[in-house]
Parts: sequence; structure tokens; C-alpha cells
Amino acid sequence: MNIIFTLLLICGLIFFTGGTLGILRFPDFYSRLHPAGKLDTFGLVTTIGTLALYIAFSQGLYLTALKIGLILVFVFITSPTATHAIVDAGVRAGLKPWTKPPAEKGQA
Amino acid sequence: MKIGGLILVVILGSVLIYGSLEFPPWGDPASPASSHVSPYYIEKSVEDTSVPNLVTAVLADYRGYDTMFETIVIFTAGIACIFLLRIFRKEETETRLYRHIPTGITLRIEKSGKFPEKSAAFERIDSVWVPHDLIVKTTCRLIVPFIQIFALYVIAHGHHSPGGGFQGGVILGAAMILYAVAFNLRSATRRMGERLTVLLCTLGVFIYAGTGVLCMLLGLNYLDYSALAGVLGVDPVTARSHGILIVEIGVGIAVMAVMVTLYYNLASAGKHDEGL
Repeated sequence: MNIIFTLLLICGLIFFTGGTLGILRFPDFYSRLHPAGKLDTFGLVTTIGTLALYIAFSQGLYLTALKIGLILVFVFITSPTATHAIVDAGVRAGLKPWTKPPAEKGQA
Repeated sequence: MKIGGLILVVILGSVLIYGSLEFPPWGDPASPASSHVSPYYIEKSVEDTSVPNLVTAVLADYRGYDTMFETIVIFTAGIACIFLLRIFRKEETETRLYRHIPTGITLRIEKSGKFPEKSAAFERIDSVWVPHDLIVKTTCRLIVPFIQIFALYVIAHGHHSPGGGFQGGVILGAAMILYAVAFNLRSATRRMGERLTVLLCTLGVFIYAGTGVLCMLLGLNYLDYSALAGVLGVDPVTARSHGILIVEIGVGIAVMAVMVTLYYNLASAGKHDEGL
């Protein structure tokens, strides 16, 4: 049982790592919000969900597991909404999406 | 002038650092603070007040005066914000935008035009920022009740777990501010007008101070909640716990109202008209 939980937690951490890498490496505002919105939400769902399962099945604290589950539900609703609102604000403020610059002459 | 200020700051800073050298070491059990009152609070707070959370017992019962004046400071901040920012004069020079609800057409009405204020077919929208965002509005509508329930939980469980009036009040105020951000300032002021917020922040301080006066009228010291035992129908120790709850509710109401007032005035630059 613990092995499954550990694997799930590592899975969540991989999602988080991907999200962080994406925020650091992507070229502009909109594409950075993509990993920030998706991978962080899913990483959180995986890790927190695993913790809820662990605390329910290994420790028997069902009420605490329920509370963690509630946190999960609210994060799952609000985090994509926040990303949506930020992208919306960027569009309204007139920020243009990044496009690949045309290759300069002399450099291939 | 700048040099003089710098010299003054350096002198004052070095005096402060010199003074702090005389402090007792961090966590010293022989220091005055932990050798006189702290042991009493730690040993006696449960049998005195039947409150499991020691911090709340100290804040709202043993040091009730202190917390009352903290509430009054917050109240004063709200009132000062109204005095500084609020503009009561109606400005004539403005253009307004209205949305015709059945067709979705936006009308721009110049300053001398006739505003369709009372018509149900028109909805006023902000001139700079037009949030017509279904996703954000729906999420807000879904989340706000849960935030409010959580805030009430934090207020009501202040004497059992971490929390209390200040924290719960801030969460309640944040729910209202979230509503104002997701919809607009006018729909928020329709739900909770300026008159109501000012009334509520006064009511919060009144509940706190009134509890103290009630204790005095019942024959004990100001804010000695054990005087409420007869009114609440419980023994004096439980009455102190209930008194803390009453006071926390007052603090929560005051903090919530002040948060909302601050937001209204800052977001609309005192006009309560258009804003985020």
C-alpha cells in the first residue's frame, strides 16, 4: 500500500517539476501560464489526493481525509479560474502573444 | 537636510540596537515575561475560562482591554478611510456606458444625455473595464458561500482551535471583496451598501464594548465575563468561554465591515460609482 502512495506522490512531484520548468523556460506570459495552470493544478491534485488516501487508509482519520478532499475540490475549481482570469486580463490589457521571430540573415 | 536625516536615523538605530543588547536571551526561562504571568496562564487558563486555546483565552479574556482597543484601531482606520477618500459631490462631467440587456448593444451616453437609470432593460457597465466573464462569475457564485461558512467556522471556533474574530472577519470581508471583483462595484454595493458597512463596523465595536459594560452593570469588573453567568444561565467558568465567543463575533463583524469599506473606497477612489 505504502509503495503505491509513494509512487503517486513521486508522480505528483514530477508534475510539479514539469510545471516549474515550463514557467522558467517558456518564452512569454501566455505560454508560461499554460504549465502554471495545468501542471500545478494536477500536481496538487495528485499529491493532496494521495495524502487524503494515505490518512484515510493507513491512519483511519476519515474526517481529516474528507477535509483534505474538500481542499482538493476547491483548488480544482479555483486554480483554473484564476489562470483564466489572468489570461483574460492579459488579453484585455493588449498583450500580444509571442510568435517565433523570423530567422535573421547570416544565421541559419 | 538629507544628510541630517541620515545621521538621525543612524543614531536612533544604533541606540535601538544598543538597547536590544540588554534583552533577555531568546527563550530564557528566567526572563521576567516567562517567570511571572506566563506560568499562570499556562496552568490556570483552562480551569479559569474553560477555553482550550490558550492564546484566545489570553487575548480575549485576560487581556480583553487590549483586544478591544485593537478593534477600535481597526474601526478608526475604516472611518479615517471614509473621511480621506469618500467624495459625496456628484460630478457632472462623466460619460456612462449602458448595456441593453435583450440585444447586448452597448450605449455610450455623453454627459448631457439622459441616463436610463431606472429601466430594467439597461444595465450600467464600467467605462474602463468591462468584465462580462461568465466563468469567473460562476466560480465566484459557487465559492462565496463556502468561504463565508469557513469564515463563520473560524470565528466560532476561535476558542477551540487557531482562529478568532480577526481572522474570520478578514475571510468574511474577502468573500464580499471577491464578489465585488468578479461582478462589479455597483452590484456589490447593492448587496451591501455603504450605510450597512458603517453600521456593521460600529455594531461590532458596540458588541465588544457593550459586553464589557453589561459585565459592569451586573456587578463585576469591565469585561469580566463571569458576570454574564446569570444572563446566559451557565456557571461562571463557562460564562467566560461564552463571553469570549460574543466578543469574537463583535470583532468579526467590525473587521469584515472595515475590510469592505476600505475596498469600496480604494477601488473607486471614493466615488462608489465605478471600480474594479
